[in-house]
Amino acid sequence: MKNRLKVLRAMRDWSQQDLADRLEVSRQSVNAIETGRYDPSLPLAFRIADVFEMPIEEIFERD
Amino acid sequence: MTATEKPGFTRTVPFWAGLTFGTFGAVMGLALTDAINATTTMIMMIVPAALFFQTMRAAGRRAACSGRGEAQRLYVKRVAIFASLYLVVIALQVSLLDDGEASLAVRAGLSIMPGLAICGVFWAIGRLIVEEKDEFIRTLIIRQTLIATGFALASATIWGFLEAGEVVPHIPAYWFAVAFFLGQFFGAISNRITHGSWGAL
Repeated sequence: MKNRLKVLRAMRDWSQQDLADRLEVSRQSVNAIETGRYDPSLPLAFRIADVFEMPIEEIFERD
Repeated sequence: MTATEKPGFTRTVPFWAGLTFGTFGAVMGLALTDAINATTTMIMMIVPAALFFQTMRAAGRRAACSGRGEAQRLYVKRVAIFASLYLVVIALQVSLLDDGEASLAVRAGLSIMPGLAICGVFWAIGRLIVEEKDEFIRTLIIRQTLIATGFALASATIWGFLEAGEVVPHIPAYWFAVAFFLGQFFGAISNRITHGSWGAL
């Protein structure tokens, strides 16, 4: 699954740690999701959408 | 380092781990060569046990600095307790069973304790999986544990058949717990390669 996490984070000038703090996960989690090594669960994907105030489908897309 | 911490207690994890294993080896060496008796061994085992606690405290501090959660701090604490218990009971077992005069009940009691202490570490891993709130870290721990379990079971099975065929010598079954911990190391490497992170164990 592809995602725009890195771009959206850069637009807000957030570090991986900033985003991790907002999502209440580890920085490794954010890094793994950004690099496509880990696909988040649906609840975490919704939390990501809430943090960026965007619909899930604008953040994640199918391969 | 906080202002209240003593500089001497802020050394790295490898430093404390090296001291722990060094002193443990020295005490066991003295016990096995009958240079010291059982009581002295027990008293001297306090040193590696205390050093092991310090190792785990250093690991806990590093975990806290790297932003790890409460579940991992609890895990470190539990492993420290069971590993210290293991060091003490293994010394007790070696010292008291050495003369071969202990009764069956004493031998059974002393022999089951190191195994139970190691089971405590397995329990701590299980609790970490249950309590870890970060789903990615939890995935890594489960992955690492599955690899370790597979490695230990595969080792036991293959060794068992080789032993039956008289190709290899007999080894005590507790070595497969050692294979499990070696498997955790392989699991961590696998996590690093596939997910870019070592994991939490």
